[in-house]
Amino acid sequence: MSQQRALWEVDLEDELQDVDVNLAIGSYGQSGLYDDAQPRVDEATLLAVQQQMAQQAAFAQIPDVVKRFIVHFHQAVLDNNLPEITVAYESGWNRLTEKFYAKTEWPEAEAIAPLVNDGVYLAFFPRIGAHIETPVHPPMRTSKPDQIFLILYRELYYRHVYSRLQPDIDDRFHSYENSCELFNYLLNSEGPVPLELPEQWLWDIIDEFIYQFQSFCVWRSKVKSKTDEELQLLADASQVWSSYSVLNVLYSLIQKSRINEHIVAVQEGKSQEELAEIVGDYGTRPLYRMLGYFSIIGLLRVHSLLGDFTLALKVMENVELNQKNIRVNIELHPEDEAVPHKKLPVRPGETDHIRPSWDVLTHMVSQINKIADRMYALYAICNALSPSRLDDNISNIVKERYGEQFSKMSRGEEGIPAFEELFLYACPKFIAANPPPYDFPELLSAYVDEPPSEPAQRHLSLFLAEVRAQAPVPTLRSFLKLYTSLDAKKLANFLDADEEEMVQQMMVMKQASRSVSRVENEKGLLAGETVPTSDLDFVIDDNMVHIAESTVGRRYAGWFIRNTEHAQRVYDTIKNAPLPVKKVPKAPTTESQPASAVPASATVPKSAGAKVAWGGVQVA
Amino acid sequence: MVSASSWVRPATRTDQIENLVSGVGKCFNRNVGLLEDYLYLQIRTEQYDCLANLAILKLYQFNPDLYNPDVVINILIKALTSSPFPDFNLCISLLDDRPPSVNPDEPDPLPALLPLITTLHSLLQQCRFPAFWQLYNSDKAESLRDNYTVECVGFEDAVRDVVIRAVIPAFKRIGSDRLSSYLYLSGDDLIDYVGKLGWTIDQEGVVVIPPNADNTIVSTVVQENVQLPQLTKIITHSQNA
Repeated sequence: MSQQRALWEVDLEDELQDVDVNLAIGSYGQSGLYDDAQPRVDEATLLAVQQQMAQQAAFAQIPDVVKRFIVHFHQAVLDNNLPEITVAYESGWNRLTEKFYAKTEWPEAEAIAPLVNDGVYLAFFPRIGAHIETPVHPPMRTSKPDQIFLILYRELYYRHVYSRLQPDIDDRFHSYENSCELFNYLLNSEGPVPLELPEQWLWDIIDEFIYQFQSFCVWRSKVKSKTDEELQLLADASQVWSSYSVLNVLYSLIQKSRINEHIVAVQEGKSQEELAEIVGDYGTRPLYRMLGYFSIIGLLRVHSLLGDFTLALKVMENVELNQKNIRVNIELHPEDEAVPHKKLPVRPGETDHIRPSWDVLTHMVSQINKIADRMYALYAICNALSPSRLDDNISNIVKERYGEQFSKMSRGEEGIPAFEELFLYACPKFIAANPPPYDFPELLSAYVDEPPSEPAQRHLSLFLAEVRAQAPVPTLRSFLKLYTSLDAKKLANFLDADEEEMVQQMMVMKQASRSVSRVENEKGLLAGETVPTSDLDFVIDDNMVHIAESTVGRRYAGWFIRNTEHAQRVYDTIKNAPLPVKKVPKAPTTESQPASAVPASATVPKSAGAKVAWGGVQVA
Repeated sequence: MVSASSWVRPATRTDQIENLVSGVGKCFNRNVGLLEDYLYLQIRTEQYDCLANLAILKLYQFNPDLYNPDVVINILIKALTSSPFPDFNLCISLLDDRPPSVNPDEPDPLPALLPLITTLHSLLQQCRFPAFWQLYNSDKAESLRDNYTVECVGFEDAVRDVVIRAVIPAFKRIGSDRLSSYLYLSGDDLIDYVGKLGWTIDQEGVVVIPPNADNTIVSTVVQENVQLPQLTKIITHSQNA
């Protein structure tokens, strides 16, 4: 769209210039030739003027500080100056958002375009970054705006719309177009592009791309709330945010960067030279390498959203999850450090730009807590289905947050609502791979009359079917714990169940206490061996059930370590505390002890002076 | 111990199929034919390759035009007998709800059969083997038997493998009648089958299952094992104090 418009503008300008010349020649006569050209020109001129005026008006409304920020930001991107880009990205953008755009969009990319003309502004502001004068009028269009920066700007622009405002259909379509332009530029230029961006931004690009895709799929599935215009647009644009296009981008980034080859080579201990040869022109650049790595994580997410759990794990097969810091093996590259980043001296008055906004931090912490909460919910589900002793700290947090649900889930059938509640809270926000049939009106009305169940509900019912199959296990388990051997008939009597049904349930119990688990040094997340997971085991000998329990010996060490550490902390605190010298009590003391304080001041004569200084305070 | 490695890559999978399953090749529609042929090979030869079949369902998920209900039903029948492993539900996860068939000349048999196949699966999942055989041999399942499982070579034996997988870890000895109801085999058929497994029948007519890691139970006491790193903090502190 924007490119078309740009071309159209160029055409228009050319036409106008021609006309000027012709008008000048016009005095020589032949006016008849231009009679029908004249009104067309006027219309075109009018349009151009109108557009220019609108842009000028939009430009004039941009606060000066924002203009300066954009010029500065653009310059940092042009220079591939990572520290400056990071400051602008992590601090500047957010601070200006708080100040000017908390409830509205940032200026449109077209409006700020005059500020980012390829290098043109350098002529206007030779000392960029020091004291930038505020541009009042858009400069002459002497060169094209920096399209790459505008794409990056729109990336931020739309992300802001999605997170702070309500994206409308145009925003959704245009953010898709802009993502396509960005990835086209990265993937289909001649060779790797010379751009550098902070890792956080690269992560956010992939993260946001998937979020917007998921958001679009959810929005798209609600046919009833669409206006006629939206229905028409959706019918015409079935490719917008298609699952295919999203997967295509992620797979392409992985392939271009050769990130999988890279990870394998690092694991094999290849040298830097060998590594550089393996990963090629793209993979040696941090931008592509990180985008490739983040795309693997992105694929894990997209495949999960689409319900393809095996593929989700398969894409992760080279990523080592048992490492404490997953990214360690990819970040340690001496050649990165060899590129000296020009560390800019911090000018007075600019330090506050570096300080990350408190709001942003709070927001991030609350996001992380939300994700952690969902992880604890999943942990509670798993531990209810397969009870076993795991990390005490985690178990305690789970008991604290989901204690009620956990005890319900541990009771079989009656815990189903608790499973349902926690699953829907913690599961991925599943999406349907295909849009409703917007391009077939008759199918669409059938779709509206009889909408298919929501993806999350489908996955929930599959999950609950698994849970129901295991539902008798907790009761069986609680009975078996009481015996070392007993007759199957007797057990069935206790349970008030048919003996044959109970024996079949015991086979379920046996299977439920086994799981395919990764054994040490095994590669791939799909592989593994069947291992027992339960502390309670049994076997049926014809009609006798024999039970064996693995018990954990009393744990002294953990208790000892915890308490010693605690004692050390107490000791340190006492040691570091100031000596308990008697201090002059402050005024609040009297408030906290009104009962004793008031009579005290009352009994002491006012003339007593310094000794009851606080009494004096009270009087004052 | 059952290893999942043969599930991740069965020995019968050719390199060409491996490329389609693991590579990016799976994204291309033209490959669906190869994978479908491979499925029919599995149907005829008692092989099973879950990941390859999931790749077909993936292509169907993204390209509703390719959808072929017979293929889907065959995939589900194959996945049915992998219980207690989750293959069946993994397949179902990829079957998005689809609008009812628009073409009256080509009725879609899946909606009618899906509830039946799902019930059969849940019976296997719950080890309710006698109930499985009863439903499977009932009139309700006639169309499934006559149109699909009859083509799937060794289907009933594959169900028996599910039974055996459940019996081996849970029993030391199992009554012949009970085993007979699980396997839907009686008389000489049962004796032959038990013999093939290398199991024996004792004087009381009870089938003896050889000891294995899962049916040999022992009570253990897990003792704690303190590692030096756990004590680092304490030792460091006493050094500094």
